[in-house]
Amino acid sequence: MTFILESGYAFWNPLIWIIVFIVVMVVVYFFRRRGQKKYKKDTAQARIFLCGEEVPEAEQRHIRVGNIYWGFFETLKEYYNQVLRPHTGIINDYVLWFVAATAISAIVLLIAGL
Amino acid sequence: MAALITHSSILIIAIPLVTAFLTPLIGMASKKARNALVIAILTFVAFLVFALARDISINGIHIYTLGATSPDLTIPTGFMVPVRIILEVDGMSILMGIIWSIVTLAAAIFSLSHIASETGQNRFYTLLLLMVAGGFGMMFTSDLFNLFVFLEIASISGAALIAFRTKFADTQEGGFKYIVVSAIASLMVLFAIGLLYAQYNLLNIGALAQVIQYTTPDKIALALLLIAFTMKAGMVPLHLWFPDAYSVAPASITGMLVITSHACMYAAFRVCFTLYGGMLDAPVVGWILIVFGLLSMFVGVTMAVFQKDVMRFMSYHAISQLGYMWVGVGVGLAVLGNPELVATYGRDAISGGVFHILNHAMYKPLLFFTGGALFHCTGTRDLTKMGGLAHKMKWTTILYIIGTLSISGIPPLNGFSSKILIYESVYQFHPILTITGIIVSILTLASFTKAFHSAFMGAELSEYKKVKEVPRSMIIAMVILAAGIVFITLFPSLIVNWTIHPAADALIDQSAYINAVTGAIP
Repeated sequence: MTFILESGYAFWNPLIWIIVFIVVMVVVYFFRRRGQKKYKKDTAQARIFLCGEEVPEAEQRHIRVGNIYWGFFETLKEYYNQVLRPHTGIINDYVLWFVAATAISAIVLLIAGL
Repeated sequence: MAALITHSSILIIAIPLVTAFLTPLIGMASKKARNALVIAILTFVAFLVFALARDISINGIHIYTLGATSPDLTIPTGFMVPVRIILEVDGMSILMGIIWSIVTLAAAIFSLSHIASETGQNRFYTLLLLMVAGGFGMMFTSDLFNLFVFLEIASISGAALIAFRTKFADTQEGGFKYIVVSAIASLMVLFAIGLLYAQYNLLNIGALAQVIQYTTPDKIALALLLIAFTMKAGMVPLHLWFPDAYSVAPASITGMLVITSHACMYAAFRVCFTLYGGMLDAPVVGWILIVFGLLSMFVGVTMAVFQKDVMRFMSYHAISQLGYMWVGVGVGLAVLGNPELVATYGRDAISGGVFHILNHAMYKPLLFFTGGALFHCTGTRDLTKMGGLAHKMKWTTILYIIGTLSISGIPPLNGFSSKILIYESVYQFHPILTITGIIVSILTLASFTKAFHSAFMGAELSEYKKVKEVPRSMIIAMVILAAGIVFITLFPSLIVNWTIHPAADALIDQSAYINAVTGAIP
C-alpha cells in the first residue's frame, strides 16, 4: 500500500489520521451548531467583561511578539546570555570558529587513527 | 527521446548556464519575454530531471563523460584512470536534482512579482540561472575539482543575489559575510583536493575512492572538506553568518539558498560515504556529524524562539532542521562498518535523514516565501510591528499554517513521516538523540505559534488597512511547494520506495559508485 510507511519498527498511515481529523471536525461542528443563537449582538451580552474594567480597543489588545513566552526567556536567561555571546556579527569571529572547528576535527581524526 | 536522456545530465547544467547569458539580451528587448524564457527553461530542466530520474530507476547509475566519443567511455584508450570530467548521477544525486528543480522553478515564479519593483532585474535572473547551474553541477559531478568550481559558481551568484536589493544597507553586509565565508570554505575545499591530488594523481571521486589509503594527509583533507561543507551548510557553531545572510536576501533567493545548504550537506555525505567510505573511522566521523546535528537542532530552535525578525526567525529554524538530517545520516555513518547494525537501524536512520532533506526542501522555502509575502505587504520584517494580517492575506495565512504544521512534525503532514523514521532508528543508537529531537519539535511548534499569533492573529491594525493579498505569481509559487507537501503527506511509502531508499542505498553502497566509473573500461 502506498499510503502505509513502514518505519522498521512500526507503521504510519496518514489516511487514518486524516479520517480521525475529519470525524473530530464534524463532531466539533455539531456541538457548535447546538450553541446559543438568540443572544443580542452589539449589546453587553456580546461584549468582553474584564472585572468591570474598561476594555481596550481591539487593536490595542493584540499581544505582540515581545510579550510572548516572557517566563520562558526569564527562566533561561543564563542560557541565552551564553548562547548569544558568539553572535557578535563580526566576520573575523566567524572565521575563528571555522579555524577552531577544523583544528579540533583534524586532531580528533588523527588521534582516533593512532 | 533516448538521445535526450543520454545527454540529460549535461543538458540540465548547460541549459541554465547558457540561458543565464542570453537573459540580459532578451531582457533588453522585452521584460515579459525574459520572464517567460526563465520560467520555460526551468520547467524544461525540471522535465529533464524527472526523465533522468525515471531512467535511473530503471537502468541504474547514469554516467556522462565529457569530450568522450561515447558518454559511457569513462577511461580513454591508453589510460588506466579517468582523466576527463565525468558526471555521475545515482539515487542520491538525482534526489537532490529533483529537489533543486522544483524549488528553483517555484523561486523563479515567486520572483516575478516579488522583485517586480526592483531595478537590475536582468542581472537578477542571470545570477539566478547561474546559481541553478552551479547547484546542479555540485549535485551531478563526480569530479572533485568540478565540485569546487560549481561550489564557487553557486556561492558567487548567491552572494550577489543576497546583496541584490542595494537600497537596504543590511543586504550589503549579508552579501559580504556570505562571500567571505564561501571563499574561505571553497579555498579549504581546494586545499583538501590538492592534498588528495598530490598523493593519488586523481580527481574523480570514484577512482579516488578505489585507491585512497586514509593516510595522515587524507585525514587532514577529510577534516578540511568536512568542516568547509559543514560551515557552508550552516551547522552550529559555524552557523553565525547564516541568519545574517539568509534573512536579508529576497525571499525567493533565501528559498534557493536553503537548498544550496542541502547541496553542501550532500557534498559532505558524498565525501564521507563515497570518497572515504570503508576506509574512514566511521564511528568517529559519525559522532562528529551527530554532535554538529544535535548542537544545530537545539541551539537553532532556541535562538529561533528568541527572534523578532521574521526572516531571522525562519533562518534559525532552517539551522535547527538541518540538525535532524545530520543526526540521521550521522547515525547511519557511525554504524557503517557493522552490516548487522546497518540492516537493523542504520539504513533507516540514513533514510530518515535523507527523507527529511526532501521534506525540508518543500516546507522551508514555503515558509521563507510566506515571510517574503509578509515583507512584500507590510514593508517590515519586524514581527513586533505586525498583527491581524490573516484578515487581509488569507492565502498566505493558510500556506503558513501548512508550512508550520509540517516543520513542527504534526501528523499527518510530511514532516512527521521523516521525523518518525529518524526518531525510531536513532533511538536504537542512543535514546538521547530521539529525546532531543522530540523536545526540538515541541519548541519548533511553540515558536511558530508565537510568530503566527504575532503576524496573523488579532484585530486588523490601522497601519495595515490598505494591505492586500500578494500577487498571483507569489501565491502560485507557494502553492507549488504546498502541493509537494500534500503529495508527500498522502503517499509517504511511494516517495520512500521510489526516491529515499535508492538515495540511502546509493550512500551505503560505495562499490556501485566506484564500479560505474572504473568498471566501464572498454
